[in-house]
Amino acid sequence: MTTNETLDLDETIHQPTRLRIMTLLAAQAAADGRVAYGFVQKELGLTGGNLTAHLRKLEDADYIAMSKEFIDAKPRTWIEATDTGRQAYARYLDHLRQALNLSTPRPRRQASPEDPNTNQPKLW
Amino acid sequence: MQSAAGDGQELSPQQGWEDLHATMDQLRSSMYVAGTATILLVWGAIISLGYFAEYSFTTFLEDFAADRPWIRAPLWFGLVGLGMVASALIGSRAGQKTGAGDAARSAGIRTFLFWATIGVAAFVMPAALGLWDEGDAQRIAGVSIGIAMLGYILFGIMHRPIIAVVGLAFLAAYFIPYALAGDAALLYSAVLTAITAAGGWAIIRRSDVL
Repeated sequence: MTTNETLDLDETIHQPTRLRIMTLLAAQAAADGRVAYGFVQKELGLTGGNLTAHLRKLEDADYIAMSKEFIDAKPRTWIEATDTGRQAYARYLDHLRQALNLSTPRPRRQASPEDPNTNQPKLW
Repeated sequence: MQSAAGDGQELSPQQGWEDLHATMDQLRSSMYVAGTATILLVWGAIISLGYFAEYSFTTFLEDFAADRPWIRAPLWFGLVGLGMVASALIGSRAGQKTGAGDAARSAGIRTFLFWATIGVAAFVMPAALGLWDEGDAQRIAGVSIGIAMLGYILFGIMHRPIIAVVGLAFLAAYFIPYALAGDAALLYSAVLTAITAAGGWAIIRRSDVL
């Protein structure tokens, strides 16, 4: 993991495409939390090669995990944020808020150091 | 403020913050419109069938409909019920393809409740206006379709403008023949609604807007 030394922003995440990927994954971290590869590609408007390249970087940092399964005899690739990835994303958000002098929102439930979802942005 | 460089693309913290929220907004919106293209097609077929049935009541089945003025109620209840079940199944299946968890389920439930409210309003409003009486039964379709298409327009404004445009086209498909085509209005409306739904579906699928 590399970080921006002045702002302490994790540069694995602080890149336009990877930030959007991690945001998308973190937002769906509840329940099973996995997202279809095709959905990510469509949502972010990326080519397969571009998305795969960024996913590989996130996978190398152990921020995401990918899996494959067959649904209706068609292969489907799933992506999900790992605990390490969600913790890194939560840290990144804290650092981003600090960089922008924004206050940290009060968590909806009691913060737990073991729970990487605490303090992450919620869709609802 | 310093920007962080990553893979040749500069990103300031402010841009990062804005990107993050734009992605969240887009994701939220996408969950609401999951399966909309197919659902649109289903409703086009259902409304078209309803118009054609109404047209049949006033032409081929005049005596049958005159003896049973209440027949429009079960007809539309049945069609709308079928459409809502089909929409829920299509939306649920589309949501599952994204693999999203609680957030997608919540979006699906909210979308269902939105349309259920519109559907109930489309029945309750004509009743409140006293249109379920024998003499005014033919005006029910106009009021109900107006309310249902208002739903399309509101939903489109909130999520994807193309849905609002299709809603306006559905409205035009009913009211233009109503104003111009006399006794054959519902037949024209049935055809135009089917064409609108198929056209909307094709445009949405081709443009990948949903």
